[in-house]
Amino acid sequence: MGSMFIELKIDIDRCRAGQPCRACIESCPVDIFVATDGLAAVVADNQDECTLCDLCLQRCPTEAVTLTKLY
Amino acid sequence: MRFYEHEAKSLLAKQAIPVPQSVLVSDAQEARRAAESLGSPVVLKAQVLSGGRMKAGGVKYADTADEAEAATREIMGLEIGGLKTVAILVERRVRVAQEYYLAVTYDPVAKLPVAIFSSAGGIDIEEAAERMPEKVARGNFSSLTPFTDYVVKELIASLNVPGADLSRLTAIASRLAQLFLRYDLTLAEINPLAKLGDGSFVALDAHVDLDDEAIGRQQALLKEMGISPEGREGRPSTAFELEAAAIDRSDHRGVAGRVVEFGGSLGLIIGGGGASLTAFDAVRKYGGNPANYCEIGGNPSVGKVAALTKHILSKPGTDKIAIIMNVVNNTRVDLVARGVIKGVVEAGYDPAEKVAIFRIPGAWEEEGFRILRKYGVEYLDRTASIDQAAKRAVEKTAR
Ligand code: SF4
Ligand code: SF4
Repeated sequence: MGSMFIELKIDIDRCRAGQPCRACIESCPVDIFVATDGLAAVVADNQDECTLCDLCLQRCPTEAVTLTKLY
Repeated sequence: MRFYEHEAKSLLAKQAIPVPQSVLVSDAQEARRAAESLGSPVVLKAQVLSGGRMKAGGVKYADTADEAEAATREIMGLEIGGLKTVAILVERRVRVAQEYYLAVTYDPVAKLPVAIFSSAGGIDIEEAAERMPEKVARGNFSSLTPFTDYVVKELIASLNVPGADLSRLTAIASRLAQLFLRYDLTLAEINPLAKLGDGSFVALDAHVDLDDEAIGRQQALLKEMGISPEGREGRPSTAFELEAAAIDRSDHRGVAGRVVEFGGSLGLIIGGGGASLTAFDAVRKYGGNPANYCEIGGNPSVGKVAALTKHILSKPGTDKIAIIMNVVNNTRVDLVARGVIKGVVEAGYDPAEKVAIFRIPGAWEEEGFRILRKYGVEYLDRTASIDQAAKRAVEKTAR
């Protein structure tokens, strides 16, 4: 099942502009991001574990990450 | 961790508390030899980690070695309260002049150890305390300062025990209290503590429980006594409980999966420790029938709570679930709410229908309540007690 509560998205163009970078992957405490083809990607099944800590949002140099609450 | 009677008695003997002469045997031949060496009459006692031994025929008296042999054959196969008899303790029978009761345990209200003494031994102490309170005395003592005899002496004297008995009983009670403290016990009970014809005392039966949390630091004792903690959990875990434990192990974050299975209709996911017992008792008080007992706490992951919720709902006969915790600060309300709702939805149900009540106030509760509102789940905040939450859950659930 996909996410029910939290949705995370990465704007690929912005992420590319921010390379080299793994900030979101390294800062997320619940492993929501992985590296795919040198860019960040979201692990769909993990999104509901998001603790809303905002680290990914704060650390991304290009504001490529968006977080939406689905409730 | 409960000790077998023979282990409990060895522990008492280690502290110089007198116990009857005995031999531990595992078959009829050994019992015969034991009866011969101890000298008849003897009493044969099933070694089993459950109560109700006497009623179940687990204790027999034998006047001769032949009788001891025969009695052993009857006792050895016995299952008492679903537990196997692992051995038989053959004891020399003594002539009892009077029976007393003596115990040291932990008093959760005073948050201190408590010594309990009664001049009505051999019976259920709770019943005695109710029926003849004048024959039961209890007194708290500190586990921080060195133990002094006067605590138990005062207690025993308060029941007008005559002088010679008073000093003998005081010595035994004092040793029992020190044993309790030294070995991290949660219960050290001698019932009955018998006074013999010659005025001496002996522990006829004993019950010792070691604090499970202390098993690690009491390794030296356990090793010395040849006691292994394995296989003492009482009844073996059910498949349902084992699967819940596997869910708990699947993720190191928090606790979600300490489950005990029951046969009722209301699935419970409740905060660990005292709050879970309060919630469970309240459900029973209002006539509810729990399908299970299950502790959560320490901020389990959303996935773990979801898997646990699904598992609890999978048990046939479970009509609804109730999620009840104390006010939490180390568990997030919103993460538990997410997990519960996810589990219910994944199990194919409507959370508004399946969740009888959600009562977890505390950290991130505003987020949590928002999630619950979105899914139409009835919830209570900290202005409602655990008791009220249990009542509401029972009202909404089929019995
Ligand atoms: S807000 Fe925190 S937990 Fe959520 S995705 Fe970002 S880093 Fe991970
Ligand atoms: S922090 Fe931003 S730029 Fe860096 S990898 Fe993550 S999405 Fe890409």
